[in-house]
Amino acid sequence: MNISKKWIVAGIVILLFIIIYSSIKGTYNNMVKKDEGVKAQWGNVETAYQRRLDLIPNLVSTVKGYANFEQQTLTQVIEARAKATSVNINADKLDEQSLKQFQSAQGELSGALSRLLVTIERYPDLKANQNFLDLQAQLEGTENRIAVERRKFNELVQSYNSYIRQFPKNIWASLFGFEKKGYFEAEAGAEMAPKVDFSN
Amino acid sequence: MKRILHTILTLLVFTVPVKAQDIPNPMSPPRLVNDFARILSPYEQKALEQKLRAYNDSTSTQIYVVTVKNLNGYEPSDFAFRLGEKWGIGQKGKNNGIVILIKPKIGNDRGRAFIATGYGMEEVIPDAVARRIVDNEMIPYFRGNRYYKGINAAVDVIIDLAAGLYTADEYYSGESPLAGIIFLIFFFGIIFLSASRGNRLQGGSIGRNLPFWLLISSMGGGRGSSFGHFSSGSGNFGGFRGGGGGSFGGGGAGGSW
Repeated sequence: MNISKKWIVAGIVILLFIIIYSSIKGTYNNMVKKDEGVKAQWGNVETAYQRRLDLIPNLVSTVKGYANFEQQTLTQVIEARAKATSVNINADKLDEQSLKQFQSAQGELSGALSRLLVTIERYPDLKANQNFLDLQAQLEGTENRIAVERRKFNELVQSYNSYIRQFPKNIWASLFGFEKKGYFEAEAGAEMAPKVDFSN
Repeated sequence: MKRILHTILTLLVFTVPVKAQDIPNPMSPPRLVNDFARILSPYEQKALEQKLRAYNDSTSTQIYVVTVKNLNGYEPSDFAFRLGEKWGIGQKGKNNGIVILIKPKIGNDRGRAFIATGYGMEEVIPDAVARRIVDNEMIPYFRGNRYYKGINAAVDVIIDLAAGLYTADEYYSGESPLAGIIFLIFFFGIIFLSASRGNRLQGGSIGRNLPFWLLISSMGGGRGSSFGHFSSGSGNFGGFRGGGGGSFGGGGAGGSW
């Protein structure tokens, strides 16, 4: 009798061990998968921003060709670009702080660019230039790509964050060092939010 | 902390329901021409569908034509990307999908058109080219409410570009359409000349060939349209399974009129 009781206890312990092990293993592997997904998407976000950085010299040289184009707005764009180029963040450290830093540098460039485009409205012959129209389409394309990749990034981060913060996964997350990641926030003006159209 | 909560809440409150409700589901049975706005006649739909279906069957590239009455508050670009992603247009891995989105002009509400390119099509149809296709091929027709003509012209250019008949740069320089017209005139000129000369000189030996040639082409046409009747009659567009899981990353361009 005594012996079989011991066996039962041992069996329960082993069973518990197996259950806990497999739960940790599953959780851990899922966290790794989600973490990698976010990192990979960060790569896409960076590519989209890089595309914009690469396009700017083209834009500047096209606009520069126009006589007496306001130098100040151009200089602002060039400076903002230099600043945005210098801010790089590590894919292993996508916390709120570093993401905010990245976003503010890129946001400055977005602001300078949109001011430049507003200024261009005053130059009808520039606006009629096919070359410039193509550039404008490309620039809009990069902004679209940035918006799409950011949205996808946010969706993945949301899934990751809510995963690691649930009980009991949060215990394993903190044990294995999975930290919460930051989101991109809507820019001032919130172009991301759908506008309600009352016209029809 | 508060801000994160706010972000999460906004994401939950806004993106999830909006995404689920405002982007329409594909029509059933699956088809490449989804004319929600009803701007195409049944005949025009069928003609476009057949062209796009044949292209899909031979290349696996999916060109979807989607017309809507209302963009539900989205920018045309955003609407097209989300729709392409939701429907999974293009093949998984290749991401060779294209969405031609059209919101017709209704009253004072501007018409909008957008060509969205899947990741895999961005090289073939760069944004600047997409803009030119919208501005040069589509909008001139759309202004006169000739939607089919405009869509058809755009589809032809896209297919030619994707097939490598001419490159984006050549389309760019605007020489190709003219070259194509010259070629067509030349081609038909030769046929016309040889046919009439053949009738006169050789007592109709080529003339005998010509009806044969015409017969084949009319047979092809007849078969095509009867096939179309058959498939619409059975309510099934014959084996098309809808989007293949392609993905969109913000490529493309649009315009308004």
